Amino acid sequence: MEGFKHLIDSLTKPTILVTFTFIIFFFLFPPSDWFDKWHRRLRFNALWGKKALLIINVLLVAFFIFGLGDPDFRAIVLKPDNVPISGLIFLVFFFTWLSMNQAYKNDELVEAGKPVDEHYDAPNDKVLVWPDLVYVEFICLILFSAFMMVWSIGLAAPLEEPANPSESPNPSKAPWYFLGLQEMLVYFDPWMAGVVLPSLIIVGLMAIPYMDNNPEGSGYYSYKDRKLSIAMFMFGWLVLWVLLIVIGTFLRGPNWNFFGPFEYWDSHKLEALTNVNLSEFIYVKLFNTGLPGNILLREIWGLLIILGYFMILPPLLAKTWLKDMYLKMGVARYSVFIVLIITALTLPIKMYLRWMFNLKYIIAIPEYFFNF
Amino acid sequence: MAEKKGLLKRLAEGQIWTSIFRGGGVPQSRRQRMMVVLNSVFLHLHPVRLPKHAVKLKFTWCMGGLSFFLFLIETISGILLMFYYRPTIEYAYPDIIDLAEQVPFGIMREVHRWGAHAMVITVWLHMFRVFMTGSYKPPREFNWSIGVILLLLTLLLSFTGYLLPWDQLAIWAITVGSNMARATPFLGHEGPGAALLAIGDINFVTVASDVRFALIGGRFLGEATLLRFYVLHCIGLPFIIMIFMSVHFWRIRKDGGISTPV
Amino acid sequence: MPDANKKKTATIKPVSPPPAALSQADDNTQVTRRSFFSWLSLGWLAFVAATGGFFTMMLRFFFPNVLFEPVQTFRAGYPEDYEAGEVDLRWKAKYATWIIRNDEGIYALSTTCTHLGCTPNWLVAEQKFKCPCHGSGFRKTGINFEGPAPRPLERFRIVLADDGQIVIDKTKKYQQEKGQWGDPEAFLKV
Repeated sequence: MEGFKHLIDSLTKPTILVTFTFIIFFFLFPPSDWFDKWHRRLRFNALWGKKALLIINVLLVAFFIFGLGDPDFRAIVLKPDNVPISGLIFLVFFFTWLSMNQAYKNDELVEAGKPVDEHYDAPNDKVLVWPDLVYVEFICLILFSAFMMVWSIGLAAPLEEPANPSESPNPSKAPWYFLGLQEMLVYFDPWMAGVVLPSLIIVGLMAIPYMDNNPEGSGYYSYKDRKLSIAMFMFGWLVLWVLLIVIGTFLRGPNWNFFGPFEYWDSHKLEALTNVNLSEFIYVKLFNTGLPGNILLREIWGLLIILGYFMILPPLLAKTWLKDMYLKMGVARYSVFIVLIITALTLPIKMYLRWMFNLKYIIAIPEYFFNF
Repeated sequence: MAEKKGLLKRLAEGQIWTSIFRGGGVPQSRRQRMMVVLNSVFLHLHPVRLPKHAVKLKFTWCMGGLSFFLFLIETISGILLMFYYRPTIEYAYPDIIDLAEQVPFGIMREVHRWGAHAMVITVWLHMFRVFMTGSYKPPREFNWSIGVILLLLTLLLSFTGYLLPWDQLAIWAITVGSNMARATPFLGHEGPGAALLAIGDINFVTVASDVRFALIGGRFLGEATLLRFYVLHCIGLPFIIMIFMSVHFWRIRKDGGISTPV
Repeated sequence: MPDANKKKTATIKPVSPPPAALSQADDNTQVTRRSFFSWLSLGWLAFVAATGGFFTMMLRFFFPNVLFEPVQTFRAGYPEDYEAGEVDLRWKAKYATWIIRNDEGIYALSTTCTHLGCTPNWLVAEQKFKCPCHGSGFRKTGINFEGPAPRPLERFRIVLADDGQIVIDKTKKYQQEKGQWGDPEAFLKV
């Protein structure tokens, strides 16, 4: 048992967990034909069958029951504000499964030349709102109210010590739905992680229907015709949002250090996290000179890298690797799309730079609050 | 007439009932059932007839409906909480304790808080369902964007409510949240570009004039912050979200009802 | 007789003469196309200005002229009260200030993390301030060395009053990255 706990603790080290997720993700949700080929060859498509749902749910439940026997795991999971997140894990898995299951069924129907499951023969196949829909809604409402009542009676809402402005609790966590943001705040300066990136998430979400000009798959579950858009949405939603929330809830402990789910939250855990900026890497470690006094000269390397990343990469990709996409989308759609994507990609890039090289900022101009 | 009418039936055909529910009687014919929807201001949110997949839970997951229902739960339980809660540093925390211990049926705060968590989840899952069925595609692009704003407003409502108990959880979550505003480019006093908005030595964006100040009503979290968040939470944001919700529901109908395969 | 009626209504003569503008095309009082548009644009300008003014007022409404906030200056006892090499926590709760004495003198550090404003904890064993929110670490001097904090902790103005007590003025801040820690009142030589 202890061996298993240690295994889980070491598997949930952020470097391993995130790397593993990144590698396996696009084989689970293939964005292109090549990935799809391997997706089927590795039999990952069985994941969206009925048997897999049963097995994975049993495993998840078994894991939670097993975990509750451990005092450290129990302390995190049973914290009242964390209960919705345990629920979220099950719900997100179930609904991902449900949508993928229906999408794959519809894909098979389309392949066989049959109409999709949602197909209806207007106006003959229409049903009346009263009673058909109203009753469904009514039953949902009753069941859900009962559920809310049981939840509210069974679990008291958390209330901590009265506010004390001089003593931050350790760890101090944001509301759970903002833990993805809080995780970003570790890698980015607040103006990026707190203002620019959230705004771009909102703008990016709002822009989805204007960027995705593929007319297929409207009004029914499908995957085959919308591989790329679904794979990317899933990546943003499951990895960059839900996974970061789970990491922030279950794996971040005192002093915002990483802890395994079965690890004791030792507030004196020592981690060497001395961070270095890119300019210090270049001037101090590489050239062995001191940092130049001129800010522009000091940060020129970082500025060049960032400029290159945002100005040169998009046209370069349009000419080479994403040529088909560029032609299909047109200049305006492609530009918005690619800027959003490469901005989102800066998050994993900066995570890895931090973990591997302790790199803090690529551009560091604290004099003008401009760090990137 | 030999047949004797039962009490219920007599009631249903009486003047009072028929004056409230036009048509009267128990709706049985197809036409009567359609009239029920057409004649009700609430049910009129729905069309009269739907494609058959629209009533299947495995298609809709009922998440949009539940989100709206949770909004109603939050409104009602929130109004009840307002009867006891006073938004001052002195009273906020004890009032929250009293709400659980001195008020009969003292689970209203639980209903409100867990409902808020649940609403965040149902709104997310609703968005997820709409994405997976491709329902954001033309002609529903604009309604998707409205939906994203509703998601944002849901999160903001939840966030402003977080401060109100005035406990450790509350003030530190808001400290972190409001200090992000401090780093807003140009508008926050520690944001990039703020130093450029100055004439000589006079800075226009300072700790007492930036976007963070507008949010928390002072240079530090305090009485003014609690009041501002209280007003935003109870009146400001619900007012805005109701406008967007009306547009959202209206547009569902105007864009052709629930999405269907072409 | 519908026909007669119809004719009757159609042939009614105008009672009054047509308006002046219609009959006299070159009259000075006439609203020409050009003057109409200049009046229109003036009207719109006034409307936009009024709306803009209204929203400016509404924005200004959120910035009151008087703040009821705690006093920002306090007396922190005598320099002898502080031991060299120690981080003094006695003013942390009340005034959000650490007072630190080293071999040369005394300085007052703000307890507000420069990342997002949490209060770091002083870890004696590791000789560092560690912020529980996002893991920023600061040395005893206030210099940031780990985690996301973008810059060092701020120091407050520190001077001696006439009676020999230390006075700390939190309204005046000294930031290392701006080279202000060398300023005379950022540091109290003892």
